[in-house]
Amino acid sequence: MTGLALQVKDLRVSYGPKRAVDGVSLDINEGEIFGLLGPNGAGKTSTLSAIEGLLKPTSGSILIRQVDARAHPGPAKALIGVQLQSTSFQSELKISEIVKLYAGLYGVPLTQAAIFDLLTEIHLGDEASRRFSQLSGGQQKRLSLLIATVHNPPLVLLDEPTSGLDPQARRQLWDRIEGIRKSGRSILLTTHSMEEAQSVCDRVAIMDNGKILTVDTPAGLIEKHKNDANVLAVARGQVTLEDVFIGLTGRDVRE
Amino acid sequence: MFVSEPIAVTTQPPSPPLRAPELPEIFRALLEADFTVQLRNNRALLLSFALPLVVLFALFASKFYSALGDRQFRVAAALTLGMASIAILGYSMTVARDREKGVFQRLRVTPAPTWTIMTSRLLVQVAAILAMALVVLVAANLFERVSLTAEAYLLTFICVIFSSALFLSVGQALVGLIKSADTLNAVGRIAYLPLFALGLFSQSTIFGTTFELISRWSPGGTVETLLTGAMNPSNWNSDTWWALAVSTAYSVVFAGIGIRWFQWGAR
Repeated sequence: MTGLALQVKDLRVSYGPKRAVDGVSLDINEGEIFGLLGPNGAGKTSTLSAIEGLLKPTSGSILIRQVDARAHPGPAKALIGVQLQSTSFQSELKISEIVKLYAGLYGVPLTQAAIFDLLTEIHLGDEASRRFSQLSGGQQKRLSLLIATVHNPPLVLLDEPTSGLDPQARRQLWDRIEGIRKSGRSILLTTHSMEEAQSVCDRVAIMDNGKILTVDTPAGLIEKHKNDANVLAVARGQVTLEDVFIGLTGRDVRE
Repeated sequence: MFVSEPIAVTTQPPSPPLRAPELPEIFRALLEADFTVQLRNNRALLLSFALPLVVLFALFASKFYSALGDRQFRVAAALTLGMASIAILGYSMTVARDREKGVFQRLRVTPAPTWTIMTSRLLVQVAAILAMALVVLVAANLFERVSLTAEAYLLTFICVIFSSALFLSVGQALVGLIKSADTLNAVGRIAYLPLFALGLFSQSTIFGTTFELISRWSPGGTVETLLTGAMNPSNWNSDTWWALAVSTAYSVVFAGIGIRWFQWGAR
């Protein structure tokens, strides 16, 4: 039987009077890639940050493989791998030292040879002595993903993992994300890209104003909302996931 | 130019412990990285060693400076400058810069408790301060003939560790109150005046007794009094005890401010 990698119930996060996450509930199955779609300020990153332990929720529960992340943040964090939206590491460290540091923080001792092998797998073996800032955007994302999975976590959280990448680098990263799933791990990712959501995600939730508006497979979302008046109003021909997204979240540009 | 490469997907990462790491494992990883960063930071190395040595030699180069205090006091002044530099321009600047870049947020999503992240950095700074103190004391002995007894060396190192708490807590308070690394850089330089320069006149009445009193109980003044006493244990008196008490109070207050208002993220 497939278990749940993540259970979030009635999660609420506030910044002062502003409620960024307003009663979000979601379940992610083992081996599933789950996408959070939403316009800027919808609450995607805040939801992820609360799961990662970066933000303290005002209420709600977060269970990572049945470990209560709010009551036991240390053991819960050991079960997740995280790629933040913008990642930076100490500028004085070489990338091999960065991998060693983060492996060490998860209790995974790595020899220099093992680190080199891992870097070679992501085509960064020749860059082992370089600094993170000297890598290209695609190389930085690959390294960040390697670090997020260096301890073989059952759940990987990716915040806009392909933003700013060219199409080739994006495709490579999708293949890596698919590879992570094939190894039995679950992935929760946020994205602005409908193409990414359709290509990579098993299920997608559309968020706005801190709430989840709808959840289903990409095809299921189109099927479910293809006759909504708001969706039809924005559709140009056959209804797409983007039409559903704009129909549900509106045309207004968000800051 | 981007070159498309065959995809090799990491499906089996090395060893899968799936357990919360132990504190010694976390500390080992953090300390190794933080020591590497410290040793590779040329600016920090310059501040740690060159600046206090320059001040040491300058204070012994002219008779004018002998009016500031005795020989031990001038060595104490060089040590105080070294500690202030490492803590305020070194530690707080590095923390502010890393916070702006998001380094702390990346560390915070690991199982490492937040206190270990900061403790590791503080331990590295204390080690840097001890190394600086060793270099300054050796230089003072070799070039200025300020020799101490074994007991005095031991007491001086203990007091250096104690005093480092004051300056590191000031650095923590600064980085707690000021978010921008650029602003902190500017404020840190100005902070030298009350923290270090003012203390230079704690044994001198050349600007009057009121100024001498203010200087003596300034953060730099209390540390200089404490270190001067430690370098000459037979002269350790009630003033030295008071300096110890006041510097402890400063440490508690500044550390309280630093902990209360410190934020891990820049936003």
